[in-house]
Amino acid sequence: MSLLSILIFLPLFAGLIIVVLPSSVREGYKYVALAAVIIQVLISAYIYLHFNGNVFTGIADQNKYQLVERLPWISLNLGAMGKLQIDYFLGLDGLSMPFMLLTSVVMLVALLASWEIKINLKGYFALFLLLDTAILGVFSALDFFLFYIFYELMLMPLYFLIGIWGGVRREYAAIKFFLYTLFGSVFMLLVIIGLYFSVTDPATGYHTFNMLSMMDPKNYVEGSIFSALAHNELFGVSARLLGFIVLFIAFAIKVPIVPLHTWLPDAHVEAPTPVSIILAGILLKVGGYGILRVCVSIFPDAAIQSAWWLGLIGIVSIIYGALNALAQTDLKRLVAYSSISHMGFVLLGIASITPEGISGAMMQMISHGFLSSMLFFLVGIIYSRVHDREIPHFRGLALIMPKFSAFIMIAFFASLGLPGFSAFIAEAFSLIGAFNSESINGLLPRWMAVCGTLGILLSACYFLWTLQRMFFGETRLFGGEKWKIQLTDVNAREVTALCILTAFALVLGIMPSLAFDKMNASVLELIRLVNLK
Amino acid sequence: METVSQSIQGIPLNHYILLSAIIFTIGVIGVLIRRNAIIIFMSVELMLNAVNLLLTAFSVYWGDASGQVFVFFIMALAAAEVAIGLAILTMIYRNTNSTDINILNRLKW
Amino acid sequence: MSALITITILALLLLYLGLFKAKKALLPVALIGLMVALVLSLMEWDSNAAPIFSNMMLYDRFAVAFSGITIFLTILIIALSKDYFERISSNVAEYYALILFSLAGIILMVSYHNLSMLFIGIEIMSVSLYILAGIKKRDFASNEAALKYFLMGAFSTGILLFGVTLIYGASGSFDLEGIKQYILKDPTAVSPLLYTGITLLIVGLSFKVGAAPFHFWVPDVYEGSPSLISAYMSTVVKVAGFAAFLRLIMFSFAPLQDFWIPMIIGMSVLSLLIGNVTAVYQQHFKRMLAYSSISHVGYMLFAIIALNGSSDNAVFVYAAAYSVATIIAFGVLILLQGQVGNDSFDSFNGLARKNPFLALTLTIAMLSLAGIPLTAGFIGKFMMFSKALSSYHIFLVVFAALNAMIGIFYYFKVIVAMYFKEEDRKELIVPVYFKLVLGFSALVTIALGVYPDFIASLI
Repeated sequence: MSLLSILIFLPLFAGLIIVVLPSSVREGYKYVALAAVIIQVLISAYIYLHFNGNVFTGIADQNKYQLVERLPWISLNLGAMGKLQIDYFLGLDGLSMPFMLLTSVVMLVALLASWEIKINLKGYFALFLLLDTAILGVFSALDFFLFYIFYELMLMPLYFLIGIWGGVRREYAAIKFFLYTLFGSVFMLLVIIGLYFSVTDPATGYHTFNMLSMMDPKNYVEGSIFSALAHNELFGVSARLLGFIVLFIAFAIKVPIVPLHTWLPDAHVEAPTPVSIILAGILLKVGGYGILRVCVSIFPDAAIQSAWWLGLIGIVSIIYGALNALAQTDLKRLVAYSSISHMGFVLLGIASITPEGISGAMMQMISHGFLSSMLFFLVGIIYSRVHDREIPHFRGLALIMPKFSAFIMIAFFASLGLPGFSAFIAEAFSLIGAFNSESINGLLPRWMAVCGTLGILLSACYFLWTLQRMFFGETRLFGGEKWKIQLTDVNAREVTALCILTAFALVLGIMPSLAFDKMNASVLELIRLVNLK
Repeated sequence: METVSQSIQGIPLNHYILLSAIIFTIGVIGVLIRRNAIIIFMSVELMLNAVNLLLTAFSVYWGDASGQVFVFFIMALAAAEVAIGLAILTMIYRNTNSTDINILNRLKW
Repeated sequence: MSALITITILALLLLYLGLFKAKKALLPVALIGLMVALVLSLMEWDSNAAPIFSNMMLYDRFAVAFSGITIFLTILIIALSKDYFERISSNVAEYYALILFSLAGIILMVSYHNLSMLFIGIEIMSVSLYILAGIKKRDFASNEAALKYFLMGAFSTGILLFGVTLIYGASGSFDLEGIKQYILKDPTAVSPLLYTGITLLIVGLSFKVGAAPFHFWVPDVYEGSPSLISAYMSTVVKVAGFAAFLRLIMFSFAPLQDFWIPMIIGMSVLSLLIGNVTAVYQQHFKRMLAYSSISHVGYMLFAIIALNGSSDNAVFVYAAAYSVATIIAFGVLILLQGQVGNDSFDSFNGLARKNPFLALTLTIAMLSLAGIPLTAGFIGKFMMFSKALSSYHIFLVVFAALNAMIGIFYYFKVIVAMYFKEEDRKELIVPVYFKLVLGFSALVTIALGVYPDFIASLI
């Protein structure tokens, strides 16, 4: 067992402990979970500190991954097709390492938000920790089959978390979320199988699910379906392009992109606060990570071919998400749409295939991970107090909840890209990447970067407008005096969670090198791999 | 025995195949269009006997006894089926006073 | 072969126990006897088995594996029969004996080497099942199920026999090896009789396994029969029918692939479509399971479409996964019908609150049937999809993937009802036997999903 395995299976283990604990100690469940998550944060901090970004560039070379672990897991004899070899294969490089830390921190915050959960605690915390394991697994799996297993494993706990502890329309939201994601992943499985039949492991000569082998065109069997040289066509489209599109759609549903985003507002609105935090803070990043790790790395030729479209989708998501956010009256829905808008920058950055763009995309994912968690946490605070979050129902909150308002101002300003916060660095880099793309590789036209800037402007509009509507002016509340009493200011637990997130957003904004140093070499390696084609 | 085989072989094989096929088809059609369980049942028997006839013919033409042995198997098991089938029919008749299968359409989607 | 003898003797023994009113002993004796049979059959694990009984049977790995799984599933189902038959009538021994007789027929079906044995096996199995389907003599639905099953069974046997006869006419042999040699001699110039014969045989066997378009009897019979018998029919019988199907095609007809593959593809597509789409509209759990069993036949047919040396393996894994999950589902169904008297989806409302264990096992079963990773069902589907993709049936696999999505929709109805809907209800009483079977089956489902190695490369 390496450190990585311990990190991944620690939450699962804690979850099992919770399952076997008698329900007489039900108040203790959350502390077991808290202990597990704190240890997890410490381990991932240790991994972060000992990670050498310049040596462990990763991407397509197993030797350049840190904490590699490779054990045979499933081996099926398929007769004429040779052996089906699936490995338990984990490793970290500059692309995945930041997400391990992000996951741990966001999970900690989500757990702190879980104090509000009152019913069926055993099931809740067990599922919560199972979800934690699955997410960590997705970010570190290097065998495509293993990746898929973890990817799917994320769905089940989320489905139940939304479905059991969610709001009024939880059933609808849960199944919608589930079917959307599954729709993508079922077809992803088909591409995985297709890749499996196309790729052989140079060491053994058997077909393999190893993602790293899939990145090297030399490993493709001659004439196989996804071989770059064979130029196979499926349904009249180049097989590799089709494979890329299918994988892209699978991950893009997670990101989410317009028009595959409609599950997101529903899921967010119905989900309990901690689940919203996890959804926005981590799960959306799985999509972006998947696009980098899988789509772009395995199908670089197709990625370049479709870069223009990716950029366009990014722009559409940015603008459409922002315009929708402007029109929302439900605060949580507004934050959900702002997520769609912000994740558009990730896609734009990736589409540029420049070092600045991809670094910016990575940074945007990390930064959005912290900021959206913070936003959902803040919305959750209001909702838990008065069970309402309609923007017009509140006015002048700053007078009765000064600390809360301070935090929300920090979160709003950070999210709209105020210099000094991480989102500014991230969006700036993404846009620089998109802007330079025309002169470096000619993939994206300049107007896309310009449109992206428009998105920042719009986000300033909806955030500032909300701030003005809800927090400034005289206090006038829909629920009258009763609400005034219920709307107490943030307590110590909430302050802790919010301070953690604020600190990360600030530190990354002031010293972005803390993140860039770790991932820069990997990003460059990725771009080198793409440009090989 | 010789003479029986010879007289069977006197008729071309195709005639047996055609005859059995016709009888078999009559049986199939009977199963599909008749509504009385007993008649359906008889149609099934017709199908089985078409098979028996054809098996015997093939057996003689190949000069191989196993086909005829198979006929005995079919007859034996058909008898078992008849026993069960009539028992089921009796049971249903007791409950419904009818052997028409149209009244047995309670189970539907 | 000793497993077959053991099972037959066991059935007779049970009849005698019934005669001497030793009712308490029936269930334990049946279980122990079956376990002995299971061990005996596994002991005959031998990769170079030769045909026995003048080439009538061949107890090779295929036969051992499939008789092993059918005996194993029968053990699980019989363990669920505690107190079940007593509610129907006091003559319980006959029911056990009939189940065991049909199991004997099933062992013949999976180990035949001569078409006459196939026929005899099918008949022994079916004749017992005709009776079992109708054991609720006063229950109209059970009557109807028995009659429908009987008429369809007899009809399909007729078709099957005509196919056998034509194959005999063409090749001069009932022996699988003889037929194979005849085809191999000159695959391009086989007699047209053989083609007709193969078609009729496939049609006949499709009736038995319930593949569309020969599936119409399945929902009625499964719904009308007593639930325990439906469980038996939709697992053990279906697996056996499929094994017989596969054995015939792998052994003898593989060289004529071009002829029968389009037929099987058509059947597979229809089974998937009809099974899944109709299942969505069901309001009752039992009938939903019947339609879902049709759709699972569609997936299993993939192994025949992409026929090669490992098809048996794929079918074996899929069948094991499907059957174990189905047994859990029927186990819960039996409890529900016995204590609530209704099996509509609404009757599952709030089950998770009162019976967490029951809800958890049923959830695992539904996830496995839906093919969610880390359950056995996923491994089964994965193997089927990779087989079909390896032979470039891309349209088919894409179609199947869409159907898998539809499947999730109706399997999750149960989960939604159990976990997301609140209702005041009484706690269901779960007997110990049920707990054992359900818990064990759920464990098997998860274990196969996480680490499928130990059965996946068996044959």
